[in-house]
Amino acid sequence: MQPTITKEEIMQVFPKVAATMADALGCDVEDIKLDVSLIEGLDAESIDFLDMVFRLERAFKIKIPRGKIIDNARGDLSEAAFEQKGVLTPVGLAQLKAYLSEVPPERFREPMKVADIARLFTPETFCKLVIMAQRETKAA
Amino acid sequence: MSDHFATFSFVDRITEYEPGQLAHGLFAIPATITAFPSCLVAEAVGQLAAWAAMAHVGFRARPVAALAFETRFVNDVMPGSELELAVALASCDDAAVAYSGHARVGGATVVELHDCLGPMLDIEQFDSKAALRDRFALLCGAGAEPGRFHGVTTPELVVTSELAGQSVRAILLVPTDAPFFADHFPRRPVYPATLLLERQIELALRLAGGATDWHAGESIAPMRMTNVKMRAFIAPGQRLELLADMAAPIGETAKIALSARIDGRQVATAQVEIGRRQNQ
Repeated sequence: MQPTITKEEIMQVFPKVAATMADALGCDVEDIKLDVSLIEGLDAESIDFLDMVFRLERAFKIKIPRGKIIDNARGDLSEAAFEQKGVLTPVGLAQLKAYLSEVPPERFREPMKVADIARLFTPETFCKLVIMAQRETKAA
Repeated sequence: MSDHFATFSFVDRITEYEPGQLAHGLFAIPATITAFPSCLVAEAVGQLAAWAAMAHVGFRARPVAALAFETRFVNDVMPGSELELAVALASCDDAAVAYSGHARVGGATVVELHDCLGPMLDIEQFDSKAALRDRFALLCGAGAEPGRFHGVTTPELVVTSELAGQSVRAILLVPTDAPFFADHFPRRPVYPATLLLERQIELALRLAGGATDWHAGESIAPMRMTNVKMRAFIAPGQRLELLADMAAPIGETAKIALSARIDGRQVATAQVEIGRRQNQ
C-alpha cells in the first residue's frame, strides 16, 4: 500500500525543489517542469542525482538515505518480491507504476531493469521524496 | 622508494580518529619543493576524509572526488610548513561520504572545505584493499615517512582563444605517464580533480588579471570556489578543453564560471571568485 501524497502537497514543495534542482543542473529554474524526464529532458547524470539529493537534504533539513526512491517505491514488498536478478517482477513493476503515478504508462519498459528506474524520474518524483522524508522527520 | 603512497599522498599521520565522525591529521610539506598550491592543500583535506570514510566502511569502498559546495582559500602555504588537517563526516556509508574540513598552518586556517560529497566505489577497482588497510594502520600509529612528495609536473595550458575580461579557452593535454598516476590510483590511473582545478584557477586568474583597470598592479588570488562538480574520470592521455567565462560584472570580486570538456562532453564545472589577497 502506497502512502497518499496530494497534488497540493507536491505543489507546496515544488518551487523550492525546482530551484534546488536548477542549481544542481546548472539550468534555468523555468526549465524544471514538474513532469520533465530528468535524464532524457534535462541531461541529468548519476552525479547530478547525488548532487540533487545532497542539496535537497540541506534545503529542506531532511535526511534522504541513498536509494530511498526505490525503497519508497518498493513499499512493503520484500526485495525478492520486488525484483529478481536486477529485473522487476510483475508485482514490483505494478508497485513502481503506482508509486511513480506521474509517469506516463508508456515510459515503463517491460521487462524493466532496476538500473533503468532512474530514467523515469521527474521533478515530481523528487517532490514526493521530500514529502516522504518530511513525514518521517515529523514522525521521528 | 615506491610511488604508491608517495607521489600523490598528503597525509603523514592521523592523530585522531572517531569512526564515522571525525579525523585529524598532519602533513609536512617538504621544504625541498618549489610550491604547494592551495588545491593540493584541499586535496590533503579530502584525502584525510577518504581515509576516515574507507576505514568506516571496512575498506570495502573508497570515495572519489565529485562535489564540493564551497572551498575557501584563506592563505597560501609555503614549502616546509606542516598542515594540520581536520575533517568532520556528516554522513558515510557504502554509497557516499559527506564531509567538511579545513587545513591550518600554525593554528591559522589556510583552506576550508564545506559540504563535500564523494560517491563510494568498489575499492578493488582502484587499489589493494590490504595495502590501504595496512597504510591506515601505519598512519594511525607511527605515521608515514615524511618527505615522500617531490612535487608534481603538469603540462602547460595552451590558450586557444581569449576575449579580454570576458572569456578564455585553453587546451590541457593530460600526460600519458606521470609519477602521480602510480598513486592516484595504482589500479586505475585518474588525473586528479585538484590538479585540474589548479589549472582552471590559473585560467581564471589570467582572465581576471586581463580585465581592464581591475586592481591593476595588485596581487590577485582565488578566494572561494563553489559548486565544484566532477562528472567523469579523466584518464591519462585525454585532451581537455578548459573554458573560463566571466559570470558577473567585476567589482571587488571577479566571479568566473569554469568548465572542462572532453570531446564536447562536459566533465567538470565550478565557479571561482578572484579577489585581492589581503593577508599575505
